[in-house]
Amino acid sequence: MDRRVVVTGAGMFSALGAGREATWQALLAGTNGIRPITRVETEDLPTRVAGEVPEFDLSTYLDRKEAKRMDRFTHLAVMAAGEALEHSGLDVAADADEIGCMIGSGIGGMETLEQEFKVFFEKPTRVSPFLVPMFIPDMAAGQTSIRFGLRGPNFNTVSACASGADAIGTALETIRRGDAVAMVAGGAEASVTRMTIAAFAASRALSRNNDPETASRPFDLNRDGFVLGEGAGILVLEERGHAEARGATILAELTAYGQSADAFHVTQPSENGEGAARAMRIALKKAGIDAAEIDYVNAHGTSTPLNDKFETLSLKAVFGESMPGIPVSSSKSMFGHTLGAAGGLEAAVTVLSIRDQRIHQTLHLLTPDPDCDLDYVAGGPRDVSLKHAMSNSLGFGGHNSSLIFSRYEG
Amino acid sequence: MTRRVVVTGLGLITPLGNDVTSNWEALVAGRSGIGTITLFDTSAYEFPIAGEVRDFDPAEHVDAKILRRLDRSTVFAIAAAQRALADAGIDMAKEDARRVGVVIGTGIGSAQLIVEQAAVLAEKGPRRVSPFLISHMLPDTATGLIAIQTGARGPNFAVTAACATGGATTGEAAEIIARGDCEVIIAGGYEAPLTPVYYAGFNAMKALATAEDPTKAVRPFDATRNGFILGEGAGVLILEELEHARARGAHIYAEFVGAGTSNDAYDMVAAAEDGHGIAQAMRDALTRAAVGVEVIDYINAHGTGTPLNDRVETKAIRDVFAEHADSLMVSSTKSMHGHMMGAAGAVEAAITVLVCERGIVPPTINYASPDPACDLDYVPNEARRSAVRYGMSTSVGLGGHNSALIVKRWEGD
Repeated sequence: MDRRVVVTGAGMFSALGAGREATWQALLAGTNGIRPITRVETEDLPTRVAGEVPEFDLSTYLDRKEAKRMDRFTHLAVMAAGEALEHSGLDVAADADEIGCMIGSGIGGMETLEQEFKVFFEKPTRVSPFLVPMFIPDMAAGQTSIRFGLRGPNFNTVSACASGADAIGTALETIRRGDAVAMVAGGAEASVTRMTIAAFAASRALSRNNDPETASRPFDLNRDGFVLGEGAGILVLEERGHAEARGATILAELTAYGQSADAFHVTQPSENGEGAARAMRIALKKAGIDAAEIDYVNAHGTSTPLNDKFETLSLKAVFGESMPGIPVSSSKSMFGHTLGAAGGLEAAVTVLSIRDQRIHQTLHLLTPDPDCDLDYVAGGPRDVSLKHAMSNSLGFGGHNSSLIFSRYEG
Repeated sequence: MTRRVVVTGLGLITPLGNDVTSNWEALVAGRSGIGTITLFDTSAYEFPIAGEVRDFDPAEHVDAKILRRLDRSTVFAIAAAQRALADAGIDMAKEDARRVGVVIGTGIGSAQLIVEQAAVLAEKGPRRVSPFLISHMLPDTATGLIAIQTGARGPNFAVTAACATGGATTGEAAEIIARGDCEVIIAGGYEAPLTPVYYAGFNAMKALATAEDPTKAVRPFDATRNGFILGEGAGVLILEELEHARARGAHIYAEFVGAGTSNDAYDMVAAAEDGHGIAQAMRDALTRAAVGVEVIDYINAHGTGTPLNDRVETKAIRDVFAEHADSLMVSSTKSMHGHMMGAAGAVEAAITVLVCERGIVPPTINYASPDPACDLDYVPNEARRSAVRYGMSTSVGLGGHNSALIVKRWEGD
């Protein structure tokens, strides 16, 4: 029979806090993490607000020389992985060959590429020998393994904004089939760079609203695009017997993973959100539960006109008559859209929701949109009884991923 | 309950040729595809050597409108996927599209596309950056576009693991079929690293081979080896659940029996000297395939031609295979097509499939001076006719990634 997989640790670095509990408490308090951008010059950029991670101390896990040879997305990954591993209390050295690492990143080291591009212009032969190993998106998983001695299965999954969710789903399957006893899995992205902002703005996906108090407003009638956020969200997944044998605190069970492709359009969702609905249905089927048993959905909820409308349609298609009773909230309303990290951060949010039996609100939802008519948990956090919760991630290219977490009941 | 996975189609775009036939002919003839770089101005370099894809017409594979938005690497992936699907004889109209997936990786991705737009940003400002950049520059752009072209609506993502990408991707794809999440996966790897900025970066790493004669530059396992040579292209394999392949009467090239990935957890660039990481990936693949070391006849090695890699890899093979190591044939086809980075593992997996099917082992060319630290049978310089029942392909990447996979000759059972 299939092996069961539980979550024993979580690490979160987001605009709401350089750490798990800081981020989670800020979400529950309904704190806005979107602010004017400070990391790069924005005078000539159409977008000037984002969710930047507050200052953090890299020396917790990295010495200065090591840190200099990593892009910021890797820094964020190593920090969140370190926090998750400490949270889990996992003794890595005891099972190093059977503990792997999969960290999704949509873009990789764009900041490094922008810097080295300038060097290249002046003198090609002065380009850093670390350009390639700092830019390539697998380095979050690679460097995290090196730092913490994780010698098991290791790679990065990329599926645009579903990358973090696919890393967690793939890690789940890796443990399930017996290739690892534990996996450090999630997503990381350092998206506040001039190139990333310029390119997303050019694609018209970003909000043109530079008021940080209203820019990210998923499911609101006046939403006009998403707000970039940076961060990392990483879980420690562990085979249930392994976690129980060492007396670990089990935060939740990772019950199922469903994935699908729209095969429709590069940036637009498929008709009626068919692809997203299919990913959710696959996850439900693999979990062996009915749609009506889901108690909460942490939505992709980007705040773009198309996403939120189509995601709402897909949720209604899947949950049918039970939909009115299922609360749905978007963490992006507070820490922005963290791209490849989103699936990781929001999986961690879903796990903490189960741990604390509390869900956070969708912030900035002021004007209802007739096309978005679900219970988005507007107004404040809510105490709920959560048995099964779903986290959804949808990406450019038509990638859809759905994870189901459940209260652990032995 | 694990389902069996077979290989029913291949697509190869490499410095040796743009189809399976031309690649196989070059491999068997021991012909190098390496030459002087023509894709960009190399006047700053003393030895501008690489394996370029030649006579490739992107317009054959992608509509002109879309083509303008794509990096060269993405076009390689799409082209190889089209060739592989045609080779497999898969008619998407007859398939349940929800049960056909696309899992294709790259080490770097759309290198040149990003750099060109960085120039636009620097020279003309942010408002002139292409609206199509973000949606067409991601490592998963290729899998998304292949899904749109073919209608494949099953599992879809890219895997990146630096130079172990192609192996890791192909292995993960096989697991998705084995666990029952779909029937067919278009799997593989692609790369186009021959761009001015990336070449400058690789050159600065001082890991590239130098030689007066470009075709002699990459000399895996030879005592005089002095680095690797970049290659570009793509390799795609159609992986299919056995009964699904049988039901449609597909030609079965070989069975995909196991894969493993690991990390050295040691250094971002250098492989661990004791070779534990790649040894572990090989052992995991053997465990997954449920076979002993003695059944393996051939290893398509990572064999980059760097002093460190080839020594470490030889040691790892000796550690894993013990005395059977002396009975193995081990060759590095990178001696002919160069190091195709994220495409390497997939191209070499495809070559290993052909070796099992055809019973001919391609050589390691440019092998002249034995190195005491590299003391296996590297099939020097000339292809060898020899039955291969089980073949293994190994890959090692920056960041400490390792992958190994095992294919088995199809014997109709």
